[in-house]
Amino acid sequence: MRMNGDISFLKDGFRLDGRRPDELRPIKIEVGVLSRADGSCYLEMGNNKVMAAVYGPREVHPRHLQEVTRAIVRFRYNMASFSVEERKRPGPDRRSHEVSKVSREALAPVIQTSYFPRSVIDIFVEVLQADAGTRTAGINAASVALADAGIPMKSMISACAAGKVDGQIVMDPMKLEDNFGDADMPIAMTPSGEITLLQMDGNLTIREMKEGLDVAKRGCQQIYELQKAALIERYSRMGDLERCKNAESTQGIQVI
Amino acid sequence: MSDDVLSEIKKDYLYHLVLKGERTSGRSFDQYREISLETDVIKKADGSALVKLGKTQVMVGVKIQPGEPYPDTPNTGVIITNAELVPLASPCFEPGPPTEYGIELARLVDRGIRESKSLDLEALCIEPGKNVWIVFIDVHILDDCGNIMDASSLGAIAALMTATVPAEQYNLGEDFPLPVRDIPVATTATEFGGVFMFDPDSDEESVADTKLTVITTSDGAICGMQKSGANAMSQDHIHRIVDISCEKGMEIREKFLDV
Amino acid sequence: MDRTDRDVVVPGDLLSENPRDSGEGTYVKDDKVYSLLYGLANRRRDKIRVIPLAGKYTPSTGDIVIGIISDITFSNWIVNINSPYEGLLHISEYPKRIETTEMPKYLSMGSSIMARVKDVDSTMKVELTLNDKRLGSLKKGRVIEISPSRVPRLIGKGGSMINMLKKELDCNIFVGQNGRIWVNGRDEDMDLALKIIHIIETEAHTSGLTDRISEFLKNEKIARS
Repeated sequence: MRMNGDISFLKDGFRLDGRRPDELRPIKIEVGVLSRADGSCYLEMGNNKVMAAVYGPREVHPRHLQEVTRAIVRFRYNMASFSVEERKRPGPDRRSHEVSKVSREALAPVIQTSYFPRSVIDIFVEVLQADAGTRTAGINAASVALADAGIPMKSMISACAAGKVDGQIVMDPMKLEDNFGDADMPIAMTPSGEITLLQMDGNLTIREMKEGLDVAKRGCQQIYELQKAALIERYSRMGDLERCKNAESTQGIQVI
Repeated sequence: MSDDVLSEIKKDYLYHLVLKGERTSGRSFDQYREISLETDVIKKADGSALVKLGKTQVMVGVKIQPGEPYPDTPNTGVIITNAELVPLASPCFEPGPPTEYGIELARLVDRGIRESKSLDLEALCIEPGKNVWIVFIDVHILDDCGNIMDASSLGAIAALMTATVPAEQYNLGEDFPLPVRDIPVATTATEFGGVFMFDPDSDEESVADTKLTVITTSDGAICGMQKSGANAMSQDHIHRIVDISCEKGMEIREKFLDV
Repeated sequence: MDRTDRDVVVPGDLLSENPRDSGEGTYVKDDKVYSLLYGLANRRRDKIRVIPLAGKYTPSTGDIVIGIISDITFSNWIVNINSPYEGLLHISEYPKRIETTEMPKYLSMGSSIMARVKDVDSTMKVELTLNDKRLGSLKKGRVIEISPSRVPRLIGKGGSMINMLKKELDCNIFVGQNGRIWVNGRDEDMDLALKIIHIIETEAHTSGLTDRISEFLKNEKIARS
């Protein structure tokens, strides 16, 4: 639905959704929410809802894809038909192929693939509801899911985008700001500041781009703290003797 | 987890339990795992539901958009049902176009909705012969721990019951609730070791000789059935499964889907 | 910045400024030690290691594992050992001299075996053997699976936990390095064994576990009699 005329994105220093220019949308992170997957994470970033799952290391099929000295990493980003405004035909399209590629490249640099020759680490992200920033949400969730699966990594990866509306650089643009703003620049990085994802579309001066990078980096730093907190909190949830005693089924125990 | 290979010890253990009249979870043969149902979870969709059946998790989204009717039914709305068995949900699911299992699941969910006449399709006509409401039912499996069929079916009807036709968005009048007039419920039983059991978990599904899904309506009539699996089933078992399906259908309907 | 006993860490957490502290589950960069895993940081004998909370089983020579036959080729059984890598059991590693045509007769698809990892090469080609009195096919009892990362806790220091369980539960219990456990005994005893193993798996990271399990077992026995 197109909006006519000029919309003002900033009013008295506040954005359309009430945020300040350097504020993230509310984030919710849940670790280990799926049983079949080796690692999983459900994540909400504003109205984005994504589910990430990791399988692996596991055998590669077809065999010819395997590498003798290390694991290969695969990333599949997919949007549910009901996740967007107009119902989307199921299956990958050109955009999801591109997002899958850059997301894989955002995480691969920290994964210690040499530990697992001739295997594959599969990362799947399903977008259940989209509202600008699904790729950064997906990378954030995937990073947590990888940790949850016990995959050795040099560090976590956090992702956040910067946008530009009404001449102002803003952190973590939501849908309206992304669609009708002047630029969108998603990044992903390690906590020490090394960039593993960098994309940009729109129109920015060099100065604006550098400011955007700083803003996005600060967003990533905040997200890293949330990812870490979720992982640590999850651990303390485990091991409640009373709960185990009363558990009807032997969760996690499978007679094989 | 050993997904592709079924160990003899596992099969023997499950058979041993069946002989004692037991299941690994301690459930009785007609007992369902814990069900949780949450609707309106995806605000962008016109209707949605998240179903948890034991550890199985399924998300269903409903999108309603105007479109052209089918030429042979120019004055009624259209239902299009699809199921995505995404690789995230199981090590056995591969990326790619739907397999025969995915297609069977979608068609069975569709059969329940359609044959029970649960949607008042005549009320979904906008302009006869030209414009009707298309109802997309999209099943998205999140975690396959057995019996995604019943979970998907439950999610579909729950999402439809809480869906709103977004007429305002298309300047076609005021938004109105999707007219649902029956509540089909699917129940599935598998057979193993001469015994049938309802709501199989992944272990029970992996050893099953055969499977029967029965879809019943609010007044206890049957509107859909599907036997799957490569083995035969006795008529006696079919009769008994159908009887229990009707009861189970009532129970689930009353507990989770009461209007 | 010293992470000591039993702290939950995530990949990339700084553990120590002394590179010589680097133990399992850690790596060194610019003379500092960082965690590679999501797990518990544990300082023991001048080394910091990170014990993972999850992770697949990676075979090592000498490990004893419980496998399931998943395929039979001309002279090898292909064995699922609950790992990204399958095990190969060559016909010559069967304790009896048999013909290749007889292979399915002795170990068929779906059979469970207790085997030793004879060799693992750099490409993770895993060779198994049954040439040992303790090894062979498993016909009775039950085989269950836990996360391989919990196996050390289930065994306990010097076997303390597992020996206590074998005694108290009156069951034959064997814990494979690959997270598979074979249990054999009376039905009620095996049921209890499963319950206990599940508790240990869930609480592996907590302290005082051995005592709690001992207590739990005593109560169960009282309840039963």
